[in-house]
Amino acid sequence: MLGMRHQINRGERVGIVSISKLSVLLNAVAEQIELYTPKKIGNHYTFAKYDSSIETPLHFNNVRAYTPIKDFLFPLSELVAVFSKSVEPNEVKPFAIFGLKDCDLRSIEILDKVFLEEEFQDPFYQRRREKLFIISSDCFDPAESCCCTLFGGRPFAQSGFDLNVSKTSDGFIVEVGSNKGRDFVEKHSQLFTDAPEALLIERDKTRAKTQKQIEQNNSKYELDAPVNKVLENSTDSEVFDIESQKCVECQACTRICPTCHCFYLYDTRQKDYFAKMKMWDSCMRMAYAAVAGGANPRKVLGDRIKHRLMHKFSYFFDRYGIDMCVGCGRCIDADSHGMDIRVVLKKLNEELRTKPKAEVAK
Amino acid sequence: MNKNLYQPISSEIIKIIDESPTIRSYVIVPEEPFKFETGQFVELTWPGVGEAPFTPSSSPADTEKMEISIMKVGHVTELLHECEKGQKIGIRGPYGNGYPLDDFIGKHVYIVGGGVGLAPIRSLFLTLIDRIEDFKSIVCRFGARTPDDFIYKEAVFGHWQEIEGVDMKLTVDKADDNWKGNVGVVTTICNEQDVDVSNTVAVICGPPIMMKFATLKMLEFGFKPAQIYLSMEKNMSCGFGKCGHCMIGKYYVCKDGPVFTYEQIKDYPNIWD
Repeated sequence: MLGMRHQINRGERVGIVSISKLSVLLNAVAEQIELYTPKKIGNHYTFAKYDSSIETPLHFNNVRAYTPIKDFLFPLSELVAVFSKSVEPNEVKPFAIFGLKDCDLRSIEILDKVFLEEEFQDPFYQRRREKLFIISSDCFDPAESCCCTLFGGRPFAQSGFDLNVSKTSDGFIVEVGSNKGRDFVEKHSQLFTDAPEALLIERDKTRAKTQKQIEQNNSKYELDAPVNKVLENSTDSEVFDIESQKCVECQACTRICPTCHCFYLYDTRQKDYFAKMKMWDSCMRMAYAAVAGGANPRKVLGDRIKHRLMHKFSYFFDRYGIDMCVGCGRCIDADSHGMDIRVVLKKLNEELRTKPKAEVAK
Repeated sequence: MNKNLYQPISSEIIKIIDESPTIRSYVIVPEEPFKFETGQFVELTWPGVGEAPFTPSSSPADTEKMEISIMKVGHVTELLHECEKGQKIGIRGPYGNGYPLDDFIGKHVYIVGGGVGLAPIRSLFLTLIDRIEDFKSIVCRFGARTPDDFIYKEAVFGHWQEIEGVDMKLTVDKADDNWKGNVGVVTTICNEQDVDVSNTVAVICGPPIMMKFATLKMLEFGFKPAQIYLSMEKNMSCGFGKCGHCMIGKYYVCKDGPVFTYEQIKDYPNIWD
C-alpha cells in the first residue's frame, strides 16, 4: 500500500522473533527478491547485490553506509520523458536492502514527503518506493560524525521498516514493522524462534549504550534553542561567509546527503527520439538559481550555504513539519576541508548568546 | 498509475508574430485540452534542446490555442527563436497560482508593466476586460526601452486605449522621431492622483529592476505590501515544488507563485536579483 504509512505501529509489538544466523534470514529474502547488503570498502560501507551462492563475508554494518538511500529511489540520472511519445516508468522488480539505519529510514520519510506529495506524485520515485523491502539494523560503535541524536534520531530504527535486525550475544532479534514484514515472518516461520526475554533486555541495553555514546560525542554541539529558531535568528550573521572560506564548492555535501533532492531537467537528442532527463543538482552551485537574464539571488557562496541550512531546518520544517536533516553525518565525512554542520550551528548559537535579548525573537 | 509529471504535450506552432527586435510571439495548439488561469505559467520544451518557463500572453478564455511571447535572452530562448511555423514543441503545466481575480472585484486595478513583462499582463488585461464591470477601473502604465521595443503594438498603441474603463499611459526610455508620448522610466508616468489607493490593487510585471522601483513607488503612494501583486521570474525547472531552483525563502515560485503579494516575500534577501 502506498502512502507509505506503515500500518503497524512499533509499539504494538506485533512480532519480535529471533534467528540464529543472519545468513539464514538474508538467504530467505534473496530467494524471493533482489537483495542489497553492506559491503566494506576502505573505512566505509556501500551496498552490493547479495549472492547467496558465493561465499562472501557478510557485513553487519555498525553505522550507516556511505551510499545515501536516495541512490536507490531517485537515481543520479534517469529518463523521465520521451518526445513526442509518452514514456511509462520502467517496471521495477521488488528489491530489498539490508543494513539501513534509523537515519536512512528518516531520510526516506523526508523524500516521501517531497516525491509522493498528493498533488504531484513522481511516478518514477513511486515505482521504486513501493517495491522496496526494508530490513533495517541497529547501530553500534558509532562514527565520530554520527549526530542523529542532535536531530531527533536514534541509533536504532523507530519506524518505517519492514523488518529490523538487532545483533545480540546469541543470535539476532528480528522485529516486524509492517504488514509486508509480518507476511514474510509468517511465511518463513520455521526459521524463527520466540525471542527470549533476556535477549530483548540485552538489545535494549545495547541500544541505550550506543545512544549515550552518540549523545556524549555530540554534547559540545548542543544548542540553546530549536535549530530552526537558531537559524531564523541568525540570517544576518557573518558566520556563513566566514565558514564559506573553507568551501571549495565541490558539492559533495549535497550529493551524499540522503535528504537533498534538488534536480534539474535537461533535454537531449537521441538517435531516433528526444529525451528529457532528470539529474541530481546542487544548490551549492553558483549558477543554480540564475535566470536567463543573468539575475541570481544567491551569487555569494555564504548565501548559498545559508540557504541550504535554512531549507533544511526552517523552510522544509515550515512546509512539512519535520527537519530535512537526519544527522547521519555523511556531509561531515565528505567535506575534506572540514566544514561541519554541527560547528556552523554551534557558532550561530554562540553568537546569539552575545546578542541583546530584544533582537532575538522567540 | 499517476500521470507522468515530466511529460510534455506536443503542440503545433500555427503562427509566429514578430513583436519587437528581440521578442516573438508563438501561437500554439496543444494536442490535448490545456486549460490555465491567467498568471499561471507553463514549461515549453524545444525537443532535444531545452525547456524554459513562460507565462502565456493569451486569454484563458481561448481554449483552442495559446500565445506565448518569448524574448531572446538565453540559450534556450535563442534557440526557441529559430522555431518555425508548423513545428511541434512540447508544453507542460499549467503551474502555480494565477492572479487572484476575486480579490480584485470592486477595485481599481493598477497595472505597471515593462518590456516582455507585458506578456502576462496581456493575458490578465484580456481577462479583466471580459468582465470589466466587475472592476472600478483598469489603469495601465506601460514602458519599453524604445517605441519599437513595445510588444502588442497594435493593441497598446491602438484599441486598448479606447476601451471604456481603461486609463492607459505609455512611456519609453528613449524616444524616436515619431514618439509623441512620455520619455522616462515607467515610474515617471505613475502619479499618486491616478487612483484611490485605499480601493486599489497594484499589479507589477517586468524586468527585476523595474519591478523593484515600481514597488517602491507604490509603497510611496501608500499601497500596503499586501495590495501589491508581483509576478516573479525565477529559474523554475520542474514546475511543481520539488527541484528547488526557484526558491525564494520558503516559497517555491513555481508552486506558491509565480504571483505573490509583496507582503509575502518582502523580508527575504535579494528578491530582485
